[in-house]
Parts: sequence; structure tokens; C-alpha cells
Amino acid sequence: MSYTLRGRIESRLAALLPVVASACVLTAVLDRWWPVQVAALMAGVGLLLDVQVYDRLRYQPAWAALPIGAVELGIMIGVMRLLGIAAPLGEAIALFAGGWLSAQLLGHAGFPLLRLGYAEDGGELGRLGIVSVLAVAVALTSAGAVAYAGLRPVVHLAAGVHQGPLVITRREILVGEPGAIVRGGIVIRSNDVTVKNVTVVGGENGITVNSVRGTVLDGVSVSGAKLDGIHVRLAGIMIKNCTVDMHGNSLGQGIDIAYNMDLGMSMVEGCTVIGGMEGITTHSSMTDIVHDKVSGTELRGISVTEMSMGTVMDNEVSGALGIGIYCNDRSMCMIEHNTVLDTRADVASGNPTRRGFGVLASFQSQASLRGNQLSSNPVPMGAVINSEIAATH
Amino acid sequence: MGVAVVGSGLAGFTAYQALRKGGLAPEEITVFGTQDDPAGAFRRRAAAIRQRRMRSESDGHCLPATFPGLAVRSAWRRRSPVPLVSSVLDRYHPSLAEFLAHVDGLRERSGWERSLRAARIERVQAVDGGFELDGHGRYRHVLLAPGQPGLNMPEELRDDPRAVHSYEPHEYAATVTVVGAGLAAATEWLNALEAGAEVISVRRREPGRRVLNVPREYFSRRGLAAFHHLGAGERAARLRVLLGPSFPPGAEWDEPLARATAEGRFRVEPALNGSAQVISATGFLRGFQHDPLLARLVREHGLETVESWIVLAPDGSVPALTDATRTLALAGVPAQWAFPAADTLAGARYFGHGFLRRVKACPTR
Repeated sequence: MSYTLRGRIESRLAALLPVVASACVLTAVLDRWWPVQVAALMAGVGLLLDVQVYDRLRYQPAWAALPIGAVELGIMIGVMRLLGIAAPLGEAIALFAGGWLSAQLLGHAGFPLLRLGYAEDGGELGRLGIVSVLAVAVALTSAGAVAYAGLRPVVHLAAGVHQGPLVITRREILVGEPGAIVRGGIVIRSNDVTVKNVTVVGGENGITVNSVRGTVLDGVSVSGAKLDGIHVRLAGIMIKNCTVDMHGNSLGQGIDIAYNMDLGMSMVEGCTVIGGMEGITTHSSMTDIVHDKVSGTELRGISVTEMSMGTVMDNEVSGALGIGIYCNDRSMCMIEHNTVLDTRADVASGNPTRRGFGVLASFQSQASLRGNQLSSNPVPMGAVINSEIAATH
Repeated sequence: MGVAVVGSGLAGFTAYQALRKGGLAPEEITVFGTQDDPAGAFRRRAAAIRQRRMRSESDGHCLPATFPGLAVRSAWRRRSPVPLVSSVLDRYHPSLAEFLAHVDGLRERSGWERSLRAARIERVQAVDGGFELDGHGRYRHVLLAPGQPGLNMPEELRDDPRAVHSYEPHEYAATVTVVGAGLAAATEWLNALEAGAEVISVRRREPGRRVLNVPREYFSRRGLAAFHHLGAGERAARLRVLLGPSFPPGAEWDEPLARATAEGRFRVEPALNGSAQVISATGFLRGFQHDPLLARLVREHGLETVESWIVLAPDGSVPALTDATRTLALAGVPAQWAFPAADTLAGARYFGHGFLRRVKACPTR
């Protein structure tokens, strides 16, 4: 086919109509914006290539649809990554493939039947083309407007001490200016709350997250909590780049995530936890614990328990009393590439399971270990009460 | 006053299919022609040069839409994806038998016989609101598809008893000179070699190697838009280049010729020699002057011409005789001014679409 530029654009956008419509439906059903974002990206990448590259082709043989499709898919995935569009890769590729297939079927069969002169008009679709261009533009612009209207407000917390507890009851992004401190804790009671760069001092718990979804704690610093540093119940959460100081609190946990198994994956990444009873603990949860540093805990460094599932990877646990990394109570743990150092034997407890294990699997749990560095621990690893450790190096 | 197609060959037949697709009943269309088989002339010429495959591709058919093309139909009939894969790779060229069967089927289905009137139209006269067709009635919209005006036999061969035109039935002598450099000439080289002859090619210029008659962009608005914007002199010059002799590239042409050259059975010479047989693969007479109907039309209506071409609008209509209420348009080889590959099936479809648009836009049809 020898396309005119207008023919390329009209054919592309008309073929994209079913994809845009599907993406809008998917967005409504999933309550996620990625389908519309991917569809918009498909249109954008395609149109850019049409104008800048493909228009130079005097003739495009049918077989060229395959390499051209592959190039567009590659660019689309790259731009997706670049823009941080959180689309699941498989689904995004499926949407693209649907669009590609739709373009092939319409380009070779549908459009020629709808418009007799389609081939000789160089892919131009006349009124249908204009309507298609408008429809795609209206659909994507409307979706963009709805997305913009639904953006969470950004609240800037000024430098200085703010008396808490600070209770957040609406979707928002709370961003602390340098030196912003909340004294008395933060309580999150709404879905889709992000707290960024805020220092929390004191409070029952430093930060309490209860029965909500879509919480992100990024760059928070917590100290002086009476109970837990970060206390999460029945909530999906992403915690990254945090600091939790539990010095002087031997009964509270640094980060305690519990009972959110049905809310999908949670994550604790890049946090530093000092002191406390347990540094990071999960109960009945699917949480990945990665790239964290935990030290000086009184009961365990990292604990995955009560039928939890998760990956414990690339963490550094040092100076824990009794147990470094604990996989307990019918949990399934992938423990990989961690460094566990200087675990101390808890002689005073008289409990043989606390005699200084680097890694311990207990009570019908399954731990798979790979590539961990377990040094200066009285007992490098062990399994008790019908538990299994599968270690590969 | 209705719609008339003058010419019952493939160009008229293809335009007829477009009109039918556009909603006109067979009774609303009159086709004037002297043969009821639209592929009759084509069939005879193809048989003469022993053509087995079409030069055109999957869309080289007489239907008004490019889809489903002959590759799809062949794949469906054979329950095999091979024709489709070949088509995707631009390697599909339907066999002559497939194409002719397609024409036969379409002829039966489309009501062609009901529209056909056996008559040769020799004069078209513009009258108020339409055209008078040589005493056969007045029509508001007329498409002239008269076909090729005749075989082109070079002057020096006309009285040569050894000479035969490639499109006339013939066998092969022991030594054969083929004059020409297009698809018919190339086909004759291979035919004569296969028959055991020694072959001499005589040509004025080296043939181009093109898959289709003209570069592909000239089959769509991509190339046509710029072509239509050329001034008269430039457009004529471009046409002369585009319509130069060519045949497709490919080993099926090159290998037998290379083998025969190595064996001393094929060579190129600048002039005629003492061969036992001379085949004139020089195609057809070119220009409206050779077609009595068109020559008279131009003369009587003072139509604008450039060299051997009648000046046409991009859709093939004659500007001086076409307005909102009536249409006189050309299709097939005399319409090259609007579409360089006018003598192909794609060209016939192009003019069919253009004519249909005119007919449908007419407020008084």
C-alpha cells in the first residue's frame, strides 16, 4: 500500500478506535488509568513515526507490518518505563497486540469494504477518517480531563513542628518541606494517600494505616513512637526509603504490616530500622521486604509470620537478639541475598529457638534460601517444628 | 436518460461492477459492446503469448473493492494459507485460469448480460443534459472504455512474410527474432527458448524491471497527487518514462535467459537479421488518434489534448463535457492522462470508482 500522510494518520486512528474504546472500558472497570495511558501512547508513538519516518516510505508491503509493529511496541514500552506508567507489562502488550491486529484486519479488509477507493486514496477515509480522528481525540482528551480532575491534591507541609496527631481523611499527597515535623503521629484513614518526606516524632504509633488502599510512604522518618513505628492493618501499602528509630522502645515493632493478604502485594523497600522488638514484621500478608537495613532488635530482625508469603531479599540484618530472619507459622518465605551478621544468643530466655539463629524457619513454614551471607551468628540457620529450609548457594 | 458504458472489455466490465456495487440495477446501466465475454480479447492475447500467470497481484481483479482479493479467494478455495503468505510477501500472482474463472463467475452473478447491448458505438455527441450515442439513445452519464485501438506492427515488418505480432496465434521457428522489450517480449523469449528455438532480441532500449507496470506509488494518491499537479508538458514527459517497456524482476526470467545466453541460444542485436521468424512484441497502437470513436469525439468537440493523450480530470472525466448534471469519462488505456496504469485492472477499478462518484453526485440521475 502506498499511503499518503493523511491516509496513514486516518487509517491509524480509525483502527485505534476499538482499542481506545476498550481502554476506556478497562479503565472504568479496573479503576486504573494505565489502559487509557497505553492507548494514548500507542496513538502518540504511531503518529510521531507516521510523520517523521513512515511517510518517507513510498510503498509499504504488507509484511512490513510485523517489524513496524515490533518497533512501535519496543518504543511504547520504553516510553512507558520512562514516564513511569504503571501498566502491567503483559496486559499492556496484549492491548497493543489487540490494536495491531485491529489495524491489520481493518486495513486489509474492513476499510476497503467500507470505502471502495481506500487503496487508491492512499488510506484516506474521507468523512470516516475525520470522524475517527475527532473520536479518538475527544475520547483521549476527555479521559485526560477526567484523570486531571481526579488528581489528588498536593498538600505541602511547611518546615517546622506541627502538633499531631495528624489525621488524613481524604485522597491527597502530603509533601513535607525540608524540616517539616509532625509531633504526635499521623493517622491515615483514606484510600490513595501518599506521605512524602515527613518526619514524625512520638505518637501512639508513629504512622497508623488502617483499612485503606493505595497508601505510599516515601522518605518518611519516624522516631519516638510509644507502640509501633509504622503500624499497618488491613491496608495495601508501599513503604520506601524510610527511617524508623525505635531506640528505647523494646516492645514496639519498627514496621508492622498485618492482615492484608487479600489486598495484593505490599512492599517495604530501602528502609532503615534501628531497635524495637522486631524490625520489620508481617502477619497474614503478602509483602516483599527488600534492600532494608535492620539492626539492634530485641526479638527478631525481620519476621514473616502467620501464613504470610513474601520475598526477603538484599537486606542487611545485624545485631538482632535471638533470631535474624524468621519465617514462622505456616509462612512461605523466599530469603535471598541477605546479609545477617552478629546475631546474639538470647540466653536469658532459656528458649532453644533463640540461641542466635541467622535464619530460622518454624512451625510448618517453608523457607527457600539462596545466596545469603550469614556471618558471626551462633547458629547460621535452622528449621524447627515441621518446617523446611531449602538452601541453594 | 441513464448510465451507459461504451465498451464491453475488462475496463468496462470492472466499471460496471463498481456501478452495481454503488446501487445501480442492471436495468439502469446499458453496456454497449460487440462481445459478451469481457475477457474475450484478453483471453486471446494471453493465449497467443502463452501467458500463465498475471502480472497483477491479489487485487488484480474486477471487483469494486480490493478485499477480498484473489489470494484470499484462492486460500479459501484451496484451504491453504500459502496464497495469503505469498500475497503478504508481494509474491502472489494469480494464474491466468484463476483470473478468467473469476471473470466468468462475476459475469454470471452481476447481471452483465442484462445490461449488455450488442452494438458498436462510433460516435458520441454532447447534447443538452447528456450524450447521444450513435442513434442508440441519450444518456446522462457515459463512460467510454473502448480498449486498445489495435496492434502495433512496426512499418518495416508489415509486409514481411516472416513477421507475426505476439498477440496473434503463432508457433515458433528454429530461429526467432523478438522485437520489443516489455512483458510480451520477455514472455516470448522464454516461450521460444522453451520450444527449442534460437532467440535474438531486437530492442531500441533496455527494458525496465518492475513488478507492476508502473511504480507502486502511482497506483494511489501518494504518487498521483503530484502527477496530477504536473504541467501538461511535464506530465507528458513523465508518462513517456512511466510507460516505457518493462517486465518483472526475478529468477524465473533471469535464469533461463542466462542459461540460454551461455549456450549461445539467446543474444541481443541492434537490428533485424535473417531469422526464420520475427515476432513483433511491440504492444498496441498508442494514442486517441488511432481510435475512431475518440478521434471523432476530440475533433467534433474540440477537446484539449497533449501529444497522443486526451486531457482528463483526475477521475478520468472529460472536463469540457462534464458538469454537475452529466458526465463523460474515459476508462482503460485512453485514460492514462489521469492514471498512468490505466490499462491495468487497478486502473479500471480507479475509473469505475470515479465514474460512480460522479453518477451518485448527480442530482437528476
